[in-house]
Order: sequence, then structure tokens, then C-alpha cells
Amino acid sequence: MTDQFDVSFVTREERSARLLIRGLTPATANGVRRAMIADVPTFSIDTVRFVENSSVMFDEMVGLRLGLVPLTTPLEDYEVGDTVTLALQKTGPGVAYSGDLETADDRVQPADDDIPIIELKEGQRLEFEADAVLDTGKEHAKHQGGVAVGYRHLQRVRVVGDRQEFDDPEPQIVRGVIETEDGDVVHTDEFDNDLRNRYPGKEVAVEDVPGAFVFHVESDGSLSVEELFVRAVDSLRDRADELAEAVAI
Amino acid sequence: MELRVVDRTDNELRIEIAGENHTFMNVLKGSLLRTDGVAAATYDVNPEQSGGQTEPILSINTEAGVRPLDALEEAARGVSDQMGSLGAEIEAAFAAEP
Repeated sequence: MTDQFDVSFVTREERSARLLIRGLTPATANGVRRAMIADVPTFSIDTVRFVENSSVMFDEMVGLRLGLVPLTTPLEDYEVGDTVTLALQKTGPGVAYSGDLETADDRVQPADDDIPIIELKEGQRLEFEADAVLDTGKEHAKHQGGVAVGYRHLQRVRVVGDRQEFDDPEPQIVRGVIETEDGDVVHTDEFDNDLRNRYPGKEVAVEDVPGAFVFHVESDGSLSVEELFVRAVDSLRDRADELAEAVAI
Repeated sequence: MELRVVDRTDNELRIEIAGENHTFMNVLKGSLLRTDGVAAATYDVNPEQSGGQTEPILSINTEAGVRPLDALEEAARGVSDQMGSLGAEIEAAFAAEP
């Protein structure tokens, strides 16, 4: 396969995107997918020093919940292993939210402000200082930047003839993204996943397009989809460089 | 990435690539199989908790006149070039999209 890639968008939202990439081998596609999940580092709270915890939960349980709060990650200024301190003080009655976390670096803060940590009743109080550490999904799933990362083959749909009047009325369900004969790239949601809606009365054939993959990437907010993609590809490139370098000696 | 040669002859190489997993090894294997002069290439990796050999071992067989290490270097450079152009294409696509 050649090194000629063609990248285009199918859908694009703030935290997710569908990207059509042509010219990939299955091995490379899977490498990029795995790298996005396990090899792109994000910040996550890892150590908590409790000053006071009179809530109904043990320190460890609160600590686990804190680890699951996605934190925005400026990768250009931090390296794996670096830490940033966050703190929280809250007295009941009320709910302690992720947005109540104070941070030492404004660029490292909760991606969402409305994640409940714990509900505090009258007289209960939560106060702690926490260290967020930059690490990869390989180390712990809480460091995964991509929450739903996967790909499907692009499927080509061809009209092969007319459907006979008494042919079986069963639906023709496809999922993912199809390429029509005119070269349009259409997500199957647009016609309710049933090819009969798009090609009424027609007989169609569906086949995978070799080397064309539709990636669906959803970020948890700690990194943009672009950063996730580019960092994953870079991490594979860096490893290849390192190997080439080591072998050359 | 720590390399350790397990076995080497003129046209065969078995090398341990410590610290890697399927993510990179499968991409590398794919690239090796498309490299000229490579007769066969595969890798083997065992689950982390299986005990024993858990680092991936890459095996390469080459045709006469091609050194396996040279083929490996060429394949690694191939992956690097490919990832470089893929990264550039992705950046361009994101830049074009508002």
C-alpha cells in the first residue's frame, strides 16, 4: 500500500468526530486506534491528602471518584510523570462538584464542572489537597483521553438492479458510513440504517472499500480530538524512529 | 525500548523488543512484510500475567543477500515516514475544518 493518505471529515462535533482516512492498512488503523486509547497521556488525580473528610464515604472512595474526573491537559508543557496540585474545600449542606476543585495551573482543570463528587449533609465537610499526575491509559484507565475510539470499514453501495415487486420485504440494515455511486459519503443514521429507505425499489450490493477506514473518536474533554489523533500518530512515529536509530548502531 | 538479539544468522533474526506491545509490533510487522527482500516476518507476545517471556519477540527471515537488521531498519523508517505523512494529513484536515 502506498503512503498516500486522504483524510476527510464525515461529522465533527466539539468532543467527537468521524474521520474518513483512505490509504491505511488494517495494521496501521489498529495501531492508531490502540495508541489513542493507551498511549496518549492525560492528567488524572492520583494522590489525595485529606485534611478533613466527615462525609459518609471513606477517603479511598472519594479518592477513586476524584481520579475519574477528566482534567484538561496542556501536553506541550508537561511530560509523563509531572504533577499538578488541586484542592477542594466544601462544607455541607450541598454537593461537592468537580467545578469546586481549585487548581494550581489554570490550564489543568476539570473538563466538566458539573460532575458530582459527593453530597454533603449539614455539618459534613470535605477538605483535601490532591496531586494530578500525567500518565497513559496503559498505566491506568483513568488516564485515557479517548473514551470511545473505534473504526469501521467504509462500505460501498452499488445499485445492481430493480427489486422485483414480490421480493422479500426484509430490511437491509447497514451501520457505519457508506459511499454511494456518486462518491457521496453518507452516515447510515441519515436513512435510519436501512438501505431500502435510501434506494427504494432497488436491489443493491454492499462491499467494504479496501484501505478506507472511518474512525469514530470521542474525547472525554481532557484533549481535543485533533490532539488525540496527532499525538497517537506521533507516538507511533517516535517509536519507529527509536527502533531505526537503535538498529542502525 | 530495549533490544536484545535472541538468535541471529545471515538470513534470520529473532530479537526481543522490550516495552512494546501489539500497538507497535503489528504496525512494524505489517511494514516488514511490505519491505523488499523479507521472506517472512512475525512476532510473538505472551499475556502480561502468563509468567516467563512477556516481551514481544520479532522474527524475520530474509532472502539471500539481505541482512535482516537492514530490513528491520528500512521497515522502521517506513513506519516513521508513513506516520509523518499521516500526521500531516490529519493536521491539514483539522485545519481546513472550522
